[in-house]
Amino acid sequence: MSGPALIISFFVLAVASVASALGVILFRNAVYSALSLILTLLFLAMFYLQLGAMFIAIVQILIYAGAIMVLFLFVVTMLAADPRDPDLQDRLPWQRGVAAVLGLVLVGALSYLLLSGTPLNEAARAHGSEALSQVVAQQGNIQAFGQALFHGFSFAFEVTSLVIVVAILGALVLGRKA
Amino acid sequence: MTTIPVSWYLIVSALLFTIGTIGVLVRRNPLIIFMSIELMLNAVNLAFVTLSSYLDSADGQVFVFIVLTVAAAEVVVGLAIIVSIFRTRRNIDVDEMNLLRG
Repeated sequence: MSGPALIISFFVLAVASVASALGVILFRNAVYSALSLILTLLFLAMFYLQLGAMFIAIVQILIYAGAIMVLFLFVVTMLAADPRDPDLQDRLPWQRGVAAVLGLVLVGALSYLLLSGTPLNEAARAHGSEALSQVVAQQGNIQAFGQALFHGFSFAFEVTSLVIVVAILGALVLGRKA
Repeated sequence: MTTIPVSWYLIVSALLFTIGTIGVLVRRNPLIIFMSIELMLNAVNLAFVTLSSYLDSADGQVFVFIVLTVAAAEVVVGLAIIVSIFRTRRNIDVDEMNLLRG
């Protein structure tokens, strides 16, 4: 895919992902918000495919849209019995206006920085055998990702397993009948 | 490589991050605040993948992988806390959660 088709698909995905993200914070019903978030995550997976990150796109769908959001939906439906919707009895209604103004300031500042090209540094680009596109062309996408993970970040990978064990223990302790 | 400028992807990422921030500021339901935090994490993931593709290096994708596992752990612990608060108080309004004891 190249040229106009790529640009059209980018804009379709951009509008769809921002619209479904707005759905997350605008829906009254938390179940609709969760479904809207799943939609946003799927659109982001398509962005990852467009950027050539196949493995991350599949992991995004499996772990995020699959596992994490199922957990969310379970808890949302479990707690939906509460008839008093917290958002209907807002004690600080002026917060909304302030939040909208601060949000506009944030997106304006970020867009200004990005459009002025501050984070982009041509010299930081990888070259030669280090370049991802070279490794992907020679060995494939998942092999390139695995090499980066286990050669450069093996310690971080091991620490991740500790994080997961702590999370499991924490959920067990919190979930047990007091 | 793509023909789309990197800054366009980064602006989509900034928009999603801002929507997540406004969600955290405005909503009073802790579940939706959690979903907004997930939205912010995903916006940052999009920026990581974009810059990984721009810099032609797999490091950004590794960061996304690690953010993903940390987000999963955070969701598990956070939802367990919300469920245990709901069990003791029968109410999940963040404005009323102002005590550390049950």
